[in-house]
Amino acid sequence: MAKPKVSMDWLAGCAGCEMSLLDMDERIVAVANLVDIRSTPITDLKVPDESGVDVGILSGAVNNTYNEEVAHRMRSRSKCLVSLGDCAVFGGVVAMRNFFKLEDALKRAYVETESTDSEGFVPSDPELCIPTEVRAVSDIVKVDVNVPGCPPDADVIFYVLSELGQGRIPELKGDKLHWH
Amino acid sequence: MVNLKIDGQEVAVPDGTTVLRAAQSVGVSIPTLCDHKELAPYGGCRMCLVEVEGARTLQPSCTLPASSNMVVLTNTPKVREARKFVLSLIFSERNHFCMYCPVSGGDCELQNSAYDEGMTHWPLQPNWQPFPMDASHEDFVLDNNRCILCRRCIRACGELVGNFTLGVEERGASTLVIADLGIPLGESTCIGCGTCVQVCPTGSLIDRAGVYQGREKDVTRIKTTCVGCNVGCGAEAIVRDNRLVRIEGDWNAPVNEGLLCQIGRFEPMKETRERLVTPLVRKDGALQAATWDEALDVVAGKLKPLAGANGTGIAAVASSRMPAEALHGFEQLFGAKLGSPMVTSLEPQVATPLQANGLDALKAADCVLVAGADLTVQHQVLGFFVKRNLPKGTRLIVVDSVATGLTEIADKALIAPLGAEAQTLAGVAADPAVAKLMAGATKPVIVVGKSVYWEAAVKLAGALNATLVNAQGAANSMAAAMYKLDKPFDPQGRQAVFVALGDAPVSSALAQKIEGAPFIAVQASYVSQVTAMADVVLPVEMWAEQDGHYLNIEGRWQEAHRGINAPADVWANEKVFEALAERVGVTLDGSWDPK
Repeated sequence: MAKPKVSMDWLAGCAGCEMSLLDMDERIVAVANLVDIRSTPITDLKVPDESGVDVGILSGAVNNTYNEEVAHRMRSRSKCLVSLGDCAVFGGVVAMRNFFKLEDALKRAYVETESTDSEGFVPSDPELCIPTEVRAVSDIVKVDVNVPGCPPDADVIFYVLSELGQGRIPELKGDKLHWH
Repeated sequence: MVNLKIDGQEVAVPDGTTVLRAAQSVGVSIPTLCDHKELAPYGGCRMCLVEVEGARTLQPSCTLPASSNMVVLTNTPKVREARKFVLSLIFSERNHFCMYCPVSGGDCELQNSAYDEGMTHWPLQPNWQPFPMDASHEDFVLDNNRCILCRRCIRACGELVGNFTLGVEERGASTLVIADLGIPLGESTCIGCGTCVQVCPTGSLIDRAGVYQGREKDVTRIKTTCVGCNVGCGAEAIVRDNRLVRIEGDWNAPVNEGLLCQIGRFEPMKETRERLVTPLVRKDGALQAATWDEALDVVAGKLKPLAGANGTGIAAVASSRMPAEALHGFEQLFGAKLGSPMVTSLEPQVATPLQANGLDALKAADCVLVAGADLTVQHQVLGFFVKRNLPKGTRLIVVDSVATGLTEIADKALIAPLGAEAQTLAGVAADPAVAKLMAGATKPVIVVGKSVYWEAAVKLAGALNATLVNAQGAANSMAAAMYKLDKPFDPQGRQAVFVALGDAPVSSALAQKIEGAPFIAVQASYVSQVTAMADVVLPVEMWAEQDGHYLNIEGRWQEAHRGINAPADVWANEKVFEALAERVGVTLDGSWDPK
């Protein structure tokens, strides 16, 4: 049996979930042996194969139109889509922005920050993606496996990846289920 | 009795028992959010839905009375699906993002419920509506964004504390928990007892001092007795790494059943006095650090020659916040052994016959007469017991020389002119309005807060067949009175003054009384005006560091337990008396325990 192909990408997040993934230490070798790692943000291949992969993993919340595009692309090329971490599952810390107006958040970030001089402005280049309300990945595309946690424990990530690597759908409950 | 079947188990419960309580009585657990064992059933959250054979829809078990031959199923696919749906709706209403909430990770009943149902995500996203946050109170914060509208806080505020500060405004998803008619909590009628914080199932009401200091899994709970006054409320000191994190009321304590007042719950967390960590002896006019041997030798050297020097010898005064063990040792050393006639406590107390079960009587009273006690300031938990019964028809009569916090809510308030307090109370039944209120009372209680009322109250209680509650004194005043530490303190003309303060606050009246005494020894936990005047200062444990016994106002012996360890060179109060006894060559006799 061919090894399952796995692709990974990140949306609006802090890379904490990826840190937690690395936190599984030497078990990462076992996981790497189980699967065929295709595209990730740190490999040469940046996007999943057009021919499709078995497992697509997304971390981070959907924060702008580019994130939407990445989420749609990952969905359309993956048999099984995994949301990794509270941002992807719920919107997470990123979603705090939704309790303010988008314009206020942008103004705060680009104009009012203490380190910004009087030249500060909200970027509006037509090449840039457009910020949107923050959403969970499941609000954009169908998600097959939700792995909550901020970040999910290394043990949980190991369990999820090894199950997926062996062609099973992981079931999170009991001490494997944590949102924070 | 009714007999019903819950998940196949036969259950027999008294009439009027809810299905939820019936299930709990046989160990069947049904998830709940708005339910609380001390509060009346409310039926607000719908987490406790169960299937009842023959019923058209799922039924909330917390408000459904058990009836004969009922067949209840608590864990069917239909029930579990309904629970998940209820949780989905609750999560969708407000900001329930766990990653930035202080109670996430084991302390949140909402999050725990979701874990129990195996929810890995929310099927519905929140509506992103920001709700107001009220941080105006000095002790806790109300964040409506975290609120699930279970109304436990509101019910606790009214049903348990009788304060009726919290309520709601608006309707449906816009419903908000508010104080009074929508004013900031800090400016409201809130008395800061914090019961609402203790019952909140989520992070909506959070305690400022204890927040982010450790989750339930990181802390240890030590059951102890509050030393704020002599109601003797059962409290839990919540500690982590030898540090006090928070204080909560003990739901299982017979006296207070979980309640505490601000003095018991929040004030001890605001301790700012400088701690005494080593004995001090005055050398060349200044207090200097010394060893215990040095300090005790200086004190014993002063005390020994004064033994039996009637009237000119030693004056000794102790705070009745100290445990019985210490008060007994104090009386033995200075009274019985060194023979001083001026051995007393800081809160001289009328020695009264202890009225057993006085507090149960107060909780169930149908007419309460409060004489000389502002139960909104002192012995506040007694005030809760009175105030919460007023809507149920309990009548309240107040006799006092000033207007108190109870005057406005009393059915009848009589002003007793200063100097005529006893006469006013004695003649109270002659007042037609009072007579009318008292008529037909089958469970009357008289609460007395000042000695001047005592004798008249005893007579009145006899005439009315009322229970007496003596709401006077500090944590262990009853024990102090038992050891005869009950006279006014007068150190005039004494050659040595010994002040056993423990962790008690110091009044300037005390400082004035002892000023100019030839020799002053002070046993205290904290630096104060009085320790500054001392020739020798002996550092002792504060309330959370000591083990000991306290006698409450109804004569109930209760235990205080050590929650945190004292600094290395700090001693237990009783140990100081034992060490001094050894040095002056006497043995302390008897036991603190009258039995």
